[in-house]
Amino acid sequence: MSAILLIAVPLLAAFISILVKKVSPYLLLLVSLFALVYPFFMDMSDVIIGGFDSPIGINLVVNKFALTSLIAVNGLFFLVVAVNIAQYKKLSSILLVALAGLNGLLLTGDLFNLFVFIEISGIAAYLITTTNKKPLQTFNYLVAGTVGSSLYLLGLIILYNMSGTLNMADMATFVEGNGMYTLFPFLLMFIGLGVEAKLLPFNSWVKGILGHSNNLSGAMIASVYATAIALVFGKLLAGVFQIEGTLALIIALVLGITILAGEAMAYASTKAREILLYSSIAQAGIVILLFTVGLGAWATFFAIANGVSKFILFGVVNRLTEEVGSDEMDQLKGSFVNNKLIGVSFTVAALSILGLPLFFGFVVKMNSLIGFFEPDFVSNLPGGNFIFPIIILVASVIEGVYFVKLLTKLWYKDSDVKVNFTPLFKYVVVVLAVALIVFGLFQGEVEELVASLINPGGVFIWN
Amino acid sequence: MKNFLALLAALGLGVLIILSLQNNTLFNEYGEDVTGRDSEEYGDREYGEENPASGPANIVTSIVADFRSFDTLGEITVLFVSSLGVALLLGGTKQKRLDLGFHPNFMLRIGSKALFGIILMTGVYVTIHGHLTPGGGFPGGAMIASSMLLLYLADDTFRAKIKGFKILESVAGSLYVLIGIAGLFFADYFLENFLNNGVVGDLLSAGIIPLIYVLIGLKVGSEISGVIDNFLTEEVV
Amino acid sequence: MLQFAAIILLMLGLYGLLTQRNVIKIIISLNILEIGLNLFIISVGYFEGGLAPIFTSETPANPNFVDPLPQALVLTAIVIGVGTTALGLALARKIYQKYGTLNLDEMGEN
Repeated sequence: MSAILLIAVPLLAAFISILVKKVSPYLLLLVSLFALVYPFFMDMSDVIIGGFDSPIGINLVVNKFALTSLIAVNGLFFLVVAVNIAQYKKLSSILLVALAGLNGLLLTGDLFNLFVFIEISGIAAYLITTTNKKPLQTFNYLVAGTVGSSLYLLGLIILYNMSGTLNMADMATFVEGNGMYTLFPFLLMFIGLGVEAKLLPFNSWVKGILGHSNNLSGAMIASVYATAIALVFGKLLAGVFQIEGTLALIIALVLGITILAGEAMAYASTKAREILLYSSIAQAGIVILLFTVGLGAWATFFAIANGVSKFILFGVVNRLTEEVGSDEMDQLKGSFVNNKLIGVSFTVAALSILGLPLFFGFVVKMNSLIGFFEPDFVSNLPGGNFIFPIIILVASVIEGVYFVKLLTKLWYKDSDVKVNFTPLFKYVVVVLAVALIVFGLFQGEVEELVASLINPGGVFIWN
Repeated sequence: MKNFLALLAALGLGVLIILSLQNNTLFNEYGEDVTGRDSEEYGDREYGEENPASGPANIVTSIVADFRSFDTLGEITVLFVSSLGVALLLGGTKQKRLDLGFHPNFMLRIGSKALFGIILMTGVYVTIHGHLTPGGGFPGGAMIASSMLLLYLADDTFRAKIKGFKILESVAGSLYVLIGIAGLFFADYFLENFLNNGVVGDLLSAGIIPLIYVLIGLKVGSEISGVIDNFLTEEVV
Repeated sequence: MLQFAAIILLMLGLYGLLTQRNVIKIIISLNILEIGLNLFIISVGYFEGGLAPIFTSETPANPNFVDPLPQALVLTAIVIGVGTTALGLALARKIYQKYGTLNLDEMGEN
């Protein structure tokens, strides 16, 4: 079956759902389950829409990278929805549109179509964050997001003016032959997507959104959307713009600063949610850095491991905040003593982000670092072979310090904080934590899976 | 200081855009024609030709509703989700008209009644002729919605039947996707034009495209009317 | 020349976004930016002496149409702009309900 149904079915369901408000939450659950299962059964071939071959028409690119991304993003989406939908029934139609938008982002093979899907998923994201009841912060997010996508479009149009094409594969060929001319438009597109991906210095909206997030918006923005945007970045950086030279150096340095600044802010913060949001800024930086230097396959799994961990971390912390009424670390002291199962899962997720052995995060971090020292890894940056591993290691050390600080507070012995978690939430969190451990233990299998993403020629993504 | 930095940023953006255009030896600012671009093939037919690959006499329409119809589906989704969002933010179960301290006088009431029909008809005309002339579902839909706005202005107690708009919006959107899926099953591809394209320039030509444009017109019209209603009403306290 | 008008509008919009502190004025700046962008997109497809890309009974045999693709893209961009503007204005009303002002400096946050 054709991959187009992953976009068409959620859209159809969204249009129908506004008439049948009563059943729309169930429709949402059903469709997001469909979107999770469907990638396993769809044809692995590019999809032509409207009967016109690309570049005349629009095409969807279906390959192993798209498949991996779809399974990860739709899986996380389904879990977020399943856990939270009872509380946010009003948002069912919007979440259906968000699902269509995210699938479109990961599948489309056309740069302008990508812009349309950025807007669809973006507007859905603004609406999801209105549940924070902070209209000013949502407004800031809307302005930042709209400016970002306008810059993306501006860059794209300048590129169209030069190349006469909007198709990703054709654009890749053009950029390869005319690297120099495409610098500025590429930079505009990079900045535009960087707003959504929380890169410095375009991430001022993040604090307002994730610092006041609730059960739904926290997990949605920090886990599902962050993973999807990082993977879109990867699709563009590995598939369309293979940047090198001075530009790559500048971008990599900005990313390095993003990583270190994010970690430093997380270290300085005393609020649980702020620690997590700054940490996720740093993680986004690392993922995009890996894509920039050409370690795309491991970056993909880095993004996925991060998404899974962030689901647990934000889910638990937001639930705690809702019950306790504050996200100051001191107020949350000892929350896990009465909720051992949740506490253990939270610890697993935090340690996985840190990259301790036995966890999925270790496998991806270790292999990404090894990637820098592989004999066939030719850095496109002067000194890139050792500067970036050092940055990632330093970041890990800072992460270690603040996560241990957070964990010791939360496991503090004497406490009367009692928080009830729904059985479903407990179940989901434990399953994800177990998954993090399982993927960590079967290191060899994961490595084989990743190796299969890279084609013999070393070209990642196309084909 | 802050304003100065902002000025610098704005100037920097402008200068960089101009530079990037001048550096551009590959495609001149004012070229001679579209040779070398993908859009060369979009206008590959003649007036009066029978059943060409894409039917509309208006090439822009054939891109919007045929070659890149998928973009358009995304576009109406954007409008759909933002009208949903406006309703989510401003709507409620019990709504009444916002008191703007403005009462329409005799001229406005009579004049708008006379204009309402004309604007509505123009909107419908523009929508139906979208594949032949400039216009189509989006401007047509906006005109239909502006005729609704006129009714709101002319009567400070008027409220349209929003439930009806919701049904129209939902049905039109679903039909668009269903036409797309029908293309997948009856022909080979999603959103494929599976009807005969007819003669370029005829009103009944271009297969499913006029149909799609009517659906878009209805959907855009009802969505923008819904947004207008949400902005001009408030919750009863 | 059209391109320069578009670029000036883009610059104005960006300047407004960076300096204005009123929610409505920010939305207006955003709109100016978008209009500049839309004009820029149109200008990319234009060339001297190009015909409007519509087939009529008077179209010559080998018509030299302007590039129709940017015109189709701009339609999409306009509609998306309408959507975000509507949402921004709805949020502005929410903000006014909550803070009683539209000026960012008077809200006591940030």
